[in-house]
Amino acid sequence: MADVLTTLEFVADGSTAIPVAPHTERFVAAHAADDGRLVSAARDGDRGAFASLYERYARVVHGLLLARVGPEHAEDLVQDVFLMAWRRLDDLRDPAAFGGWLVTITRNRAMDFHRRPTDFVELPEDVPVADDPSQRAEARAALDAIRGLPEAYRETLVLRLVEGLSGPEIASRTGLTPASVRVNLHRGMKLLREKLRR
Amino acid sequence: MSDDRTRDGYLWSATGAPDPEIARLEALLAAYAHRGTLPPLPVRARGHRVWRVVLPALTAAASLMLVISAAWLASASRNADPWAVQTLAGTPAVAGAPVDGPSRLAAGQVLTTDSESRARIAVGQIGRVDVEPNSRLRLMRSRPGEHRMALDRGRIAAQIWAPARSFFVNTPSATAIDLGCAYTLDVDASGGGMIRVTHGWVAFEYDGRESFIPAGAVCATRPGFGPGTPRFADAPAAFEQALPVLDFTAPADPRRAEALQRLLAAARPRDGLTLWHLLSRGRAEERTTVYDRLATLVPPPAAASRDAIARADRRALDAWWNELGLDSASWWRVWKSPWRE
Repeated sequence: MADVLTTLEFVADGSTAIPVAPHTERFVAAHAADDGRLVSAARDGDRGAFASLYERYARVVHGLLLARVGPEHAEDLVQDVFLMAWRRLDDLRDPAAFGGWLVTITRNRAMDFHRRPTDFVELPEDVPVADDPSQRAEARAALDAIRGLPEAYRETLVLRLVEGLSGPEIASRTGLTPASVRVNLHRGMKLLREKLRR
Repeated sequence: MSDDRTRDGYLWSATGAPDPEIARLEALLAAYAHRGTLPPLPVRARGHRVWRVVLPALTAAASLMLVISAAWLASASRNADPWAVQTLAGTPAVAGAPVDGPSRLAAGQVLTTDSESRARIAVGQIGRVDVEPNSRLRLMRSRPGEHRMALDRGRIAAQIWAPARSFFVNTPSATAIDLGCAYTLDVDASGGGMIRVTHGWVAFEYDGRESFIPAGAVCATRPGFGPGTPRFADAPAAFEQALPVLDFTAPADPRRAEALQRLLAAARPRDGLTLWHLLSRGRAEERTTVYDRLATLVPPPAAASRDAIARADRRALDAWWNELGLDSASWWRVWKSPWRE
């Protein structure tokens, strides 16, 4: 209910304020029961079960990272996040809450990345984008424009426009309510259009 | 207002008529999408003492993976290419322009055929897709390891000779994932679809619901439900009548009980494919009934106890799958692990 009210206030206000609800609500993934089974199997050493979790969440993790760090670092950090999750599976009290737990690890890892120098081997700058230099520049400008938006919008837009997830998929895999995702997409896209036209 | 609705509809669902500005952004930004794979996982162990030993090895393995990934990405980026389009009949159109000679379909572009036209697309070096009349198809991404199109409506016939999970077709209600195969895929005006596999395997997936479809089998999909239950094309007529009820009605629909009874009564051992999928779908009492019937057709191994199947225990389901005389579950589990939708 609190989330619904926040969303309504946000829409009625019409301003560019960031809705609080997406980052405060409890994570209830559509896949929670299945996640729970996979986590239990992974705790017993089943790599296939963990691979299924990776398949389900890797794009979400990558998108959340891409919203915070440069594309040249995002893939490295995805691997780091999943290795960390694999190592710490026993710390997860409720296996069905894997999605929310992973999202938290991801955000913390991104913050940590900015706080201190990383010991990662960095990939070269030429992440595979279009061969055409003008397209490459345009792609980077579009990504930078998204990354300049408020956090709630940039996360949702990266997941939608870069990772190719639909609104319902974003909601089910991040724990945001569909209403929050819809609002974030709508408002974020409006802001992005304005930014790109400047 | 209707423009806004169209824009927001596509922005929300990623299906239907695309907003040109959003489609262009998608095509541009697709290059930044996730493309990695799960790094090698160390043996799981509890306690910090073990990690002091494992961690250096893990770090070394991760670094090695990064170097390999960088080399792969550098090589892969050189191979991405638009798809060559050839006219088979009439005048298909790419990005609204008639195809009257050799043409290319680039990421973000749409290929359409009218009632008289057909086209053939060379999917990079990995296969070909024939686009039948009255179809609308978009190329979403084409890069090594991931060739993805969206079929908004119409029919395609695909022949893919690439390694499994390289070729994806998004439809409004499910994604078809190639596991090394040939198939036809129809999408109607409502967004529903039907896949018919003629060689190899296809996986049909939407939002965590999966169907595995071998050669000789068909599977329907509907918006709001995702993929239905596969059946062999030569299955008894009761299957064709019952599966739409079981797959695409609410759990409380009064027609379900009779539909299930008819299907189970007509089932042959070969129809274990269908019954196995039903073991993890529908209401608990329906799954129990399916368990009993499948047990008479294909006796369950010890691991597939009634309790384990009721819990949808994956190892139990896999063990029973392996008794069906189809390929081993481990085969598609291996291919499945690195899927991206």
